[in-house]
Amino acid sequence: MEEPKNTVQLPLPSVTAISRGKVISLPVKAGNPPPAATGGRRKPQKRHLWYALYFPQLSKLSDAQQEKYLKELAALAYDFSASVSFHSLSLVLEIRSSLRYFGGIDAVHNKLKPLVAEQLHSWQLPGNFLYAASPTVTGSLLLARGGHNKLVYQKSNLRSALGSLPTEVLELNREQDRRLHNMGVRYLRDIWRLPDDGLRKRFGSDFINRLNRALGKTPEPLRYYQPPPSFNSCYELPCEVEDLGLLLPVVDEIIAQLGDFLRHRDLSTSQLLLSLVHEQQSDTEIKLGLRQPSRSREHLMLLLETHLGSLTIPAPVIAIKVEVKKFDAFMGHSNELPVKGKAPSTYQQSNKLNQFMEQLQARLGEHRVKNINSVAEHCPEYASIQSDYKEQPKNKPSPEEIASNPRPFWLLTTPRQLAIRNGGLYHHHCIVILSGPERIETRWWSGTDVRRDYYVAREENGSCLWIYREKTGKRHWYLHGIFA
Amino acid sequence: MSLDELLSRNPALWRGCDMAGQGDYGQPTGYPALDDILPGRGWPRNAMVEIISPHWGMGELQLLVPLMRTVVAEGKWILWISPPYLLYAPALVQAGINTDQVLVIRLDTACRDALWSMEKALQTESCGLVLAWQRWLPPRVMRRLQLAAKAGQTLGVLFQHNISKHSHSSLTLKIKGSFTVAPHNQTNCTARAGTIASEITVIKARGNFRPLSTRLNLHQHSLQPQG
Repeated sequence: MEEPKNTVQLPLPSVTAISRGKVISLPVKAGNPPPAATGGRRKPQKRHLWYALYFPQLSKLSDAQQEKYLKELAALAYDFSASVSFHSLSLVLEIRSSLRYFGGIDAVHNKLKPLVAEQLHSWQLPGNFLYAASPTVTGSLLLARGGHNKLVYQKSNLRSALGSLPTEVLELNREQDRRLHNMGVRYLRDIWRLPDDGLRKRFGSDFINRLNRALGKTPEPLRYYQPPPSFNSCYELPCEVEDLGLLLPVVDEIIAQLGDFLRHRDLSTSQLLLSLVHEQQSDTEIKLGLRQPSRSREHLMLLLETHLGSLTIPAPVIAIKVEVKKFDAFMGHSNELPVKGKAPSTYQQSNKLNQFMEQLQARLGEHRVKNINSVAEHCPEYASIQSDYKEQPKNKPSPEEIASNPRPFWLLTTPRQLAIRNGGLYHHHCIVILSGPERIETRWWSGTDVRRDYYVAREENGSCLWIYREKTGKRHWYLHGIFA
Repeated sequence: MSLDELLSRNPALWRGCDMAGQGDYGQPTGYPALDDILPGRGWPRNAMVEIISPHWGMGELQLLVPLMRTVVAEGKWILWISPPYLLYAPALVQAGINTDQVLVIRLDTACRDALWSMEKALQTESCGLVLAWQRWLPPRVMRRLQLAAKAGQTLGVLFQHNISKHSHSSLTLKIKGSFTVAPHNQTNCTARAGTIASEITVIKARGNFRPLSTRLNLHQHSLQPQG
């Protein structure tokens, strides 16, 4: 990197007075110097050094892909500077504030270069990139694009540093290029010699503004990179705790923090992980999944309380960790005016049901709450399935596909063999057949051939039963269902 | 508003005489004969009901099928808490109950958790009917369930085999089903399914002074081929 020739700090150019509108003076706090002390002038701006990284290899990719890759590169660069901004095919880092920590711009560059190269290689792109640093963003970008890998410390040196760049770095349209060429302008220094007014007339104010920004004459608005949110909170307990009830205030405190965190970013969460840390044991983890994203402290606490209530821990807890696994945009909703006699809206209904289901699954476990569904299937055992509760059941058979013969409410998991006493069927009492038979022959393809004659029967004590006799094998009688 | 009108509408007001078959604040059971012996002419709207059936298969669910249809039509859910056998979906479809609005909590759920879910379900307005199969429950628990049902405007039904020795004053309604073979249709019993009669006794109901019973044919439709 080229070292600056002039290291003497020059006084900053005075900011030109901007004509302002009406100034409303705020009440001055005691102890603060009155605003008149600054002479009505703007405070001298903090000096910045902008480090531009230019990736010409990204130009072949689609816009969406470019944006995605730049975001990932920005995440890398975020380790070196708190303000990373996006530009076309390039990133710009504010590096002045990090120089002391890293020990100079060369150290920053040497650390960043392998990281970026590795990332670019992982996308099957060449790992080299162009870079430059200068006191203005546009200046750094132009220098980087010029491929000089320059370092300019002082604003006053920018003019001469930029002057040696060809006009191509400005990426003008063809018409403007042609015009500049016809005027005999090949390098930026040729432009410096021309009057501003004339240039503005010929090339528009965008052109002039850009050059002014590069020279640090006008301010440059930037869009900074925002790292994705992450919430990871750990609380170490002062002593080992065995009673989970004692943890609730701590969890409540963390959830309150989480609520604030989410509110500041206008987010909500739908997946949380609460880990109870034990000594010499793996953590006990509670995965909290919400049907609808939420950031309400009461709602989250209610669910966590339910989870903790049914938990057994292998060892005393020494710390609690809360991590957000998934962030969602916050969806607010407006309440309706309560109108007497009007049913609550479907939103409120489904919301209530969702909250209830969440609580139920939190306490009992996901697999104990079941939906039931009928299936178009002849074999009675397979005609009804229980599945874990979910939003929308699918593949529902039409009513015509359901058997038309009577079916019992209760089905035995395994058919129970019936005894025969005095020539009659016997379960707990004598059984009398009321109607039947209904022959079911199916599933010959699956290896377990089902050939049965079903009957509706009544036991002497009044129970209505669904029994069948096997058509093959020993021709035993079985009890399969109960008409309740 | 006349006195009769008030009495018929408000379940909290009743005459100091028998209310069986009076008023219209209940939900129709779908069996006119049963309505006639229930105060308010139907199931209570927000209370716990105990149905005692000496053994399963007496038509204890058939008793509730018309109510289930109404509940599902209102867009509310039916929760079955630890039923003794597998609930069979085709039977529900045949009875005209949409299985999308049916939830089952498995039998192997601990009693504590089952009761907890029952209380929560009763408090939730999205649940229209909560059916539970539990053994004897202490009066304190019954009282809690009763209050939860009141809070959530939900009907809770407990199925039991025996009449418990301790009479729970908190229960609004207690019904016992028993199977009787009346002399006049005994001959038909063995021949046709349609004539099994069950004797339904209202052991205790708020507003009724004495146990009343009626004879119903619960399996009239369920044992006939559909369509």
